Amino acid sequence: MKFCLFALILFGAAVPMIRAQGNYEIQVYGVETVAPRNTMVELHSNFTVDGQRSYIGGAAPTYHAEHETIEITQGINDWSEVGFYVFTSEQSGLGVQWVGDHIRPRVRVPEKWRWPVGVSLSTEVGYQRALFSPDTWTWEIRPIVDKTAGRWYFAVNPALERTWHGPDVNQGLGFSPAAKISYDFTRKITGGFEYYADYGSITNIASLHNQQQQLFPAIDLNVSPDWEINFGVGIGPTAATDRWIVKGIIGRRFDWSHKKKTR
Amino acid sequence: MSSAPLRQADLSRAWPASRRQFLRAASLAAAAIVSRQPWPACAAAQTAQPAPQTAPVNPPTPPSAPDYRIEIGEIDWELSPTKKLRTTAYNGQIPGQLIRLEEGKSVSIEIANRLDRQEIVHWHGLWIPPDVDGSMEEGSPMIAPGATTRIAFTPRPSGLHWYHTHAMAHRSLKQGLYTGQFGPLYVEARSNPGRYDQEQFLVLHDWEPYYSPSDDGSLMVNYVAASINCRMLGHDKPIPVRQSQRVLFHILNASATETHWLTLPAHQFQVLALDGRPVPTQAKVDSLRLGPAERVAALVTMDAPGVWIMGEPRAAFRNAGMGAVIEYAGASGKPQFTPPARLQWDYRAFADPTPALQKPDVTIPLVFTSRFQGHGALDRWMINGKSWPDAAPLLLHGGLRHRLVFDNRSMDDHPVHLHRHAFEVVSIRGATLSGIQKDVVIVEAGTQVEADLVASNPGNTLFHCHQQDHMDSGFMALFRYA
Repeated sequence: MKFCLFALILFGAAVPMIRAQGNYEIQVYGVETVAPRNTMVELHSNFTVDGQRSYIGGAAPTYHAEHETIEITQGINDWSEVGFYVFTSEQSGLGVQWVGDHIRPRVRVPEKWRWPVGVSLSTEVGYQRALFSPDTWTWEIRPIVDKTAGRWYFAVNPALERTWHGPDVNQGLGFSPAAKISYDFTRKITGGFEYYADYGSITNIASLHNQQQQLFPAIDLNVSPDWEINFGVGIGPTAATDRWIVKGIIGRRFDWSHKKKTR
Repeated sequence: MSSAPLRQADLSRAWPASRRQFLRAASLAAAAIVSRQPWPACAAAQTAQPAPQTAPVNPPTPPSAPDYRIEIGEIDWELSPTKKLRTTAYNGQIPGQLIRLEEGKSVSIEIANRLDRQEIVHWHGLWIPPDVDGSMEEGSPMIAPGATTRIAFTPRPSGLHWYHTHAMAHRSLKQGLYTGQFGPLYVEARSNPGRYDQEQFLVLHDWEPYYSPSDDGSLMVNYVAASINCRMLGHDKPIPVRQSQRVLFHILNASATETHWLTLPAHQFQVLALDGRPVPTQAKVDSLRLGPAERVAALVTMDAPGVWIMGEPRAAFRNAGMGAVIEYAGASGKPQFTPPARLQWDYRAFADPTPALQKPDVTIPLVFTSRFQGHGALDRWMINGKSWPDAAPLLLHGGLRHRLVFDNRSMDDHPVHLHRHAFEVVSIRGATLSGIQKDVVIVEAGTQVEADLVASNPGNTLFHCHQQDHMDSGFMALFRYA
């Protein structure tokens, strides 16, 4: 029993190095923004098939947790948008719980600047309850670079995170990159890999054991310009990562501009 | 018939306002030379015209001199004080100088290519031989870098046509019709009953193209700026008009890829001709629609004094510069624009009200499809399942009436163009019509258009979509005479 208590304390001490795993919105950002006078409503559904089974640092386990996140993004102009998130969690013993909210303004280099790659900058700030994230108030800045070349698509998001309130408040900036590579098999079906990681503090990179590393084989279905559909299964090979996660995103675009057909 | 005051952007300003005056001037001309000229404010203010006998600055023209000369070269151009670009153009100006020819009177033209790439000039809308039509696919020779060539032809039919590069751009957005290599060409009819007080030539173009994703999942071409004649909206002098004047607008859409609409609030356009050919019914419409390469001649009676914008009703295009200001004598204030309640265009409005269709001798189906190449690529275009240059030539039989069935099974509209001929549009979406002669017709996505072609101009004849990106991606076929 003493050994278990010691191990728990020791493991808890390591938590600041590896951060609590979010798994509410698992998505590599592309550069494209929602068009002005358009609203994108997305539902992110993530189920942790095999993950953290016990409380860590006061945060609830993720094992068999179902995370549902509603994301509403409003296009401002042809180079900016604002997104708003509502995070929820459902799991045995806790029922359906509100987790928190984030707001995410994003700007991009306008297409008409004709840069060879797409470039965008996102910043996200918000609150999550300590029951689900020991770091309650956080801020993230996420550069986004992408490129479409023929049937191939590449995107990288070298995100930096900062905790404003919580155990990691003294950790400084954390490095949480994400990347995607995909191939258009047909006009409607695109398949590829998405990569998500958390390396811990940029001044004190965590050991591989304590890093979060996830790889998702994923597909995108391009059934209509008004719909976004993404599905993937993620594997986490390190101890600090949930082992298996199934994720899905379904999004619907609403156009309020009352554009007339002009034929 | 009175002539209007000249304005800087008026393509015809240095030209007599009426056909009668034109013919008088033409009869006085011993030769015609289009040469490079200084262009202080706006090149389009000048007109390519035969040099009058009294011209003080030109020495006597040697007999062997060409009637016209076109020099292809690079220029720096100012669309507005804040929008400057470097492109290629004809005779150092945008658009190329208005060339006015007499129907049936032979003309010689010298073309000098000052670029470091091969070029070719197509005489769009003219029924001339394939070796001078300006299409390498038909057999016209390309003009080597630094080379000069001379061609001669007898222009027909009358009406508004144009000349432009027919070079492929492929993936480059700095070649082909993305450049300023285009200009209006007007062939005066031997008899012209037109009654108008002022004549204006308007050339529409889009500038600074870039690739962006499209709704159908492939790349498309978008533009940063647009212009009518040489300047963006608000940066050119207004077109001056007087109340009750009848202004004849000759309008050409020289955009590489965009279909454009034009509206003049509180006024209507009476359409007289499409692609240079008179229409049987001169219907009045609120808005004009012009696909790439289409031309419209429309009469407007100036009966609503004020300062107006004649421009694209779609705000994005108008804000990019697609418009011109119409200013009544004595009027002042900010130019007004109100978009029409709806945009409507139907070729059938100008057709013969009592159609008399003839049966075709031969029917040629032309099925338009595309092949997806990736979200980061242009679609590959096919006619009857084949992309250019893999497509086998199609046969025409001299003197016979061929019914071309344009079956567009793609998700895009296509402004299809037939070289060296005009065809008669005989059905659109299954509804019959007659009397509309064109050389470009828009076949809307998922629809059929039928057109009758009487094979009367032997030689190789190119058929293609006039969207530069579609043409570059295989949307071409060659007709040969059997």
